[in-house]
Amino acid sequence: MIQSIKTIIQLAFLVLVVSLASCGKKQQNVLIITGQNNHNWKASHVALQKTLETSELFTVDVAITPNKGEDMSGFKPDFTLYDVVLLDYNGDNWPQETQSNFEKFVSNGGGVVVIHAADNSFPEWEEYNKIIGLGGWGKRNEKDGPYVRWQNGEVVRDNSPGKGGMHGKKDQFVVDNRMPEHPIMKGIPAKCMHAYDELYAKLRGPAENMEVLATAFSPKKTGGTGYHEPVLFTINYGKGRVFHNVFGHVGKDSNTVAFKSAFFVYTLLRGTEWAATGEVTQALPEDMPNSVTPLILPNYKAFTINDLFRNASKYKVGESVKYLNLISERIKKYSDNPRELAKIEDKIIQLLNDEQATADAKNYLCRELSWMGSENCISALKDLENDVLTNEMAQFAISRLSAKN
Amino acid sequence: MSEKSNSRRSFLKKSAAALVGATVFPSIIPASAMGKNGFVAPSNRIEMALVGSGGMGRGNMKNALRNKAVELVALCDVDKKQIERSQKLIIESRGKSEAREYEDFRQLLDNEKLDAAILALPDHWHSIIACNVANKGIHIYGEKPLARTISEGRAIVDSVNANNIIWQTGSWQRSIKNFRTAVNLVRNGVIGEVTHVEVGLPDGRKPIGTPAIQSPPEGVNWDMWLGPAPKVPFRGVMHFNWRWIMDYSGGQLTDWAGHHVDIAHWGLGYDNKSPIEVEGKGVYPIEGIYNVPVEYDFTCKYDTGVNMRVANASAYSNRRGKGTDAKNKRGGMGTVWYGEKGWIHVDRSGLWASSQDILDTPESLIKEPVYFSGNHMENFIDCVKSSKETITPAHVAHNSISVGLLGEIAMLTNQKLLWDGNTERFTNSEQANRLLSRPFRSPWQLPQ
Repeated sequence: MIQSIKTIIQLAFLVLVVSLASCGKKQQNVLIITGQNNHNWKASHVALQKTLETSELFTVDVAITPNKGEDMSGFKPDFTLYDVVLLDYNGDNWPQETQSNFEKFVSNGGGVVVIHAADNSFPEWEEYNKIIGLGGWGKRNEKDGPYVRWQNGEVVRDNSPGKGGMHGKKDQFVVDNRMPEHPIMKGIPAKCMHAYDELYAKLRGPAENMEVLATAFSPKKTGGTGYHEPVLFTINYGKGRVFHNVFGHVGKDSNTVAFKSAFFVYTLLRGTEWAATGEVTQALPEDMPNSVTPLILPNYKAFTINDLFRNASKYKVGESVKYLNLISERIKKYSDNPRELAKIEDKIIQLLNDEQATADAKNYLCRELSWMGSENCISALKDLENDVLTNEMAQFAISRLSAKN
Repeated sequence: MSEKSNSRRSFLKKSAAALVGATVFPSIIPASAMGKNGFVAPSNRIEMALVGSGGMGRGNMKNALRNKAVELVALCDVDKKQIERSQKLIIESRGKSEAREYEDFRQLLDNEKLDAAILALPDHWHSIIACNVANKGIHIYGEKPLARTISEGRAIVDSVNANNIIWQTGSWQRSIKNFRTAVNLVRNGVIGEVTHVEVGLPDGRKPIGTPAIQSPPEGVNWDMWLGPAPKVPFRGVMHFNWRWIMDYSGGQLTDWAGHHVDIAHWGLGYDNKSPIEVEGKGVYPIEGIYNVPVEYDFTCKYDTGVNMRVANASAYSNRRGKGTDAKNKRGGMGTVWYGEKGWIHVDRSGLWASSQDILDTPESLIKEPVYFSGNHMENFIDCVKSSKETITPAHVAHNSISVGLLGEIAMLTNQKLLWDGNTERFTNSEQANRLLSRPFRSPWQLPQ
């Protein structure tokens, strides 16, 4: 691909104007830096941009560097225009001036988000390594700082000699929330399954002013270390705040499933806001991943109740039952809240009355209605009794609802 | 039952009464009544059927066949292969088998004159079959958990009582030394007043997705396997793995509550006491055909002030000293009673306490030892002969599994529930009350 030597900055003015008008809240300005990577940066930066933009919390510009080996002297983004610089870059050194502007930007209070192989970059740039806390590959070893691991309930630094950076096989990983009171992690479940990704291990670096927010176990049997490796951590550098996520692998196949994992999306949005302001004011999403199955968000954003019902109405047994199960989770969440529960029941009744909705979806929801439904759902259930595909579960629900208690 | 007053069963009861009498008024029983050369006289035989002849059923049958008084006269299963396996086992044990084969338990009950039956069915079948068998006056060794719902458990207890039959629940840990020792220590005050209990049960199964629809294996009556559960096509989930689907089971929780919660109750002397409050959280799969909680953690409060936490073993990961302390290899499984003077932990793999003194308590200090049974199946057979109550009668099993089922409902509704053990109703949630029973698929129902 022919790459302009100059920096390309994509400005998303329309999104900015529309979303500012709609939410009335100040958006944070984010600059994504990409353009060289041993990963598929063309896919990853788009996923990151989409995630940030669809949240309507951020405006996003993208700075794409020259290709590997090309003249970098013109790469001089003005960091001061942004609240956060997001690094999706692993490549040639930036010009000296740009490096020093970046250091200044961070030490003066700028926010930084580090994604995956960005922590492979710039092994020789001392301040960069302080900013990212931990890095890997690029001949990093004991001279660069300790390994950092989670052992017996605490962060342990290990100065023993050895290479920095490795990973086992790609897999899904259970992530342990190690700082549930941290603004980024508050409300994130104690254990979240993260989708198919690469779990970096044996990272090493200065690890100064660093707090480990989350770890994941790197199993030996799939080529890992047998340690709980830090996956989310923060670094304070001067007045600046850094949010580092070692996940976010995307290869030649352009499969961005890791970026669609609810764990990734939620922590990216929360981590980016925190890097920008030191606070997290965004609402916690309703649907949380659990320790067993990764929760995939196809459009890089949390589901609304309408999303759930729209998707659930197409359910056929054997296909993903996720949307219905998430409806069940919401029912549990609000079972003590008659107003919210009534809203969900209304949605269910709408689905039962919808001729386009599948019988399988209706049958699933009959079970929920059977215990949480009110008189309001009876007539919709009675209609389902007339359909051979739904009559059994409709009777199930009616029979339970009308049992003398 | 009265219509069969001349049956062998009533003979057994009468002769048992005579034996009990014998301890008071010694008398001589002629050897001829007992049969010769190791054979049991026909009058003393226990004619038994196995209903549900899968792994658990065959295990129980094997134990029963060790007793020469037992004759396995009938096998009932909706899967012909399971029946074949059972026939093989009888032949291995007795050299031959004359057991008649049934697919439908109703025909079994119509055709056979049985003294006793072993029931080892998926949970969703427990109540209907148990009540029908009990109504024939047949003694029952029934697998735990007693029933799929609390109202079905109540129906079983009522049928057992109304028909005055002997019931043994497959909560066999009560007949194992480790557990009995632990319970004797706790009940005789060795750790002082118990303040709280932790029960650890296995972690949940990982999801398998949703297998494709397929034909049931030859010889399987799938519709009969489903019975009262909603009609669904066969997807290869049947023997053993039914336990991960809520239509048939509550998962590891309701499977194992019949063991470690049962032991916890035994130690507390709570065989007739239910919680007054229950609250907790479950983690449910997002994808796949399995839908029982993969993680579960709830707490029951009793009117004595005692709290009992029930959770999957990993929830107690902080407890273990595995690997680092050879003497302290206890994990998250089992029952731990915490008292004012220490704790006692029992599991299938061991017995531990906060101090060695507790474990070294001399037997003389166990003033009131609990009911002794050294062999769970033998205890059942003895009780059938003697009309004595078994070590795990139906009402005790009902009380034990109710804890698991209450926890299941608390997690499903995500509510803090108040429970009235006398009426067996929640007093603060009609939603939760609806989950105390489940509608049966027509034409199945409990016998009226």
